[in-house]
Amino acid sequence: MKILEIENLSHRFGDGTFGNQEIDLSVRREEFVVIAGPNGSGKTTLLRHLNGLLMPHVGTVRIAGIPVADDLRRARQMVGMVFQDPDTQIIGETVYDDVAFGPENLKLNRKEIERRVEDALSETGLSAFAARRPHLLSGGEKRRLAIAGMLAMKAEIAVFDEPFSNLDYPGVRQVLSAILALHRAGKTILLTTHDLEKVIAHADRLVLMAEGRIVSDGPPETVMAETERFGVRQPCTFRNGGRIESWLS
Amino acid sequence: MAELNFGYLPGDSFFHRLDARVKLIGLILISIATLHARMAPLLLLQGTALLPLFRIGLSPVKILRELRYFFVLLFFVFAARSLSTPGEALFSFMGISPTLEGTLMGLLVSCRLLLIALAGMLLMATTRTWEIKAAVSRLLAPVPFIPHARIGVMIGLTLRFIPIILHQVRQTQDAQRARGIETRGFFYRLTRLMIPLMRRTLKDADSMAIAMEARCYAEERTDPQLNAEKRDWAALAGAISICGFVILL
Repeated sequence: MKILEIENLSHRFGDGTFGNQEIDLSVRREEFVVIAGPNGSGKTTLLRHLNGLLMPHVGTVRIAGIPVADDLRRARQMVGMVFQDPDTQIIGETVYDDVAFGPENLKLNRKEIERRVEDALSETGLSAFAARRPHLLSGGEKRRLAIAGMLAMKAEIAVFDEPFSNLDYPGVRQVLSAILALHRAGKTILLTTHDLEKVIAHADRLVLMAEGRIVSDGPPETVMAETERFGVRQPCTFRNGGRIESWLS
Repeated sequence: MAELNFGYLPGDSFFHRLDARVKLIGLILISIATLHARMAPLLLLQGTALLPLFRIGLSPVKILRELRYFFVLLFFVFAARSLSTPGEALFSFMGISPTLEGTLMGLLVSCRLLLIALAGMLLMATTRTWEIKAAVSRLLAPVPFIPHARIGVMIGLTLRFIPIILHQVRQTQDAQRARGIETRGFFYRLTRLMIPLMRRTLKDADSMAIAMEARCYAEERTDPQLNAEKRDWAALAGAISICGFVILL
């Protein structure tokens, strides 16, 4: 069953340039999709259409069959988003408050909010940090906090925009583990990156973007053969003809 | 954003547990009372405001650092009063003659403003932004023709952005110091600080607004619980008594 359907999406910025052009993309429920492309290829612009942060000039985005434009609140609840810069995503003054921010916006009752926040903190291993100031967390912990915020909203599609940027090796492993836990829990994952090495071992599908368009889409082992033509480096092991290993192994 | 001094400090002190409405009313009462206060009760109140600030972990050095720009303002207030109030001249140097009456009045006004700043700092350090938003909204609710929810949101967002602006000031200053700006004059440094500061602050504010939108932010949301208990009423009665005492003295 398709949870996300994008049909003929084009987005033009105020200066007339196209961010995205003629995008067609369908994603199955529980699929793990990596969207790769160089800087400026339109990955972030595409992601922002999924919960109505941007609206297409042409085309439609449907989440579980309903166009995003018809019910923005539903789209934003169903599509959880982790932004590239975790600092600008932090709203609350404590870790607990930050996770509670989404459920409070959904006007849930206080008991339900508390239950959701505690569950989300426990699932992301942040319970011990509940009373801490979020800005003092490490890079990996900040991204886990964003994931906890998404869990508390009960999002079904988890969208990650360059989740490994500016992270050290332990940070990448922490975030990757959290993403895989979400996938195991039945969430659909969409993740953008220009660094395939860290995540491609876990993906079901690789979508390649260049100049605002989708230029290739298919199983990772097939699409990876052409990534360098579009400015995305192939993983080392793939170049050497070896099997791609997980960063968690 | 590792060093955020202005704003909420997580904790469980008496002031943390007080109802935000009581703290807000207390601040308003103290601000009114200081208009009529003399020097001795002002100093007493300043000492009383400093104790809980120390108790929540703010050292004297930190408080001085937080208020360093405020002290510049106080200096100008003091200088203006001492130079413009007629009376007995203390000394005369290059045509500048501060008066005894003006100096005393300048000291009094500066102490009044300092007390309000300390009380405000205590409120900010022990109250979450969203509690202040909820308190403002609830206190204004009975007033007809006032969009209390919107005013609460506006105040909440303004307070939320202050630490971000201060963080940007520090970052921009560091970047400029790294390129030797300290050798230049005050006004040159000020103009060179303001333009990038405004640009970066607006960019960050935009990113945060997008992150809030992505998590369904709306005017109507589940506000933090505000429950006035015996302790809160006792604190309010205490604040009224102190203010009355200060005015009568």
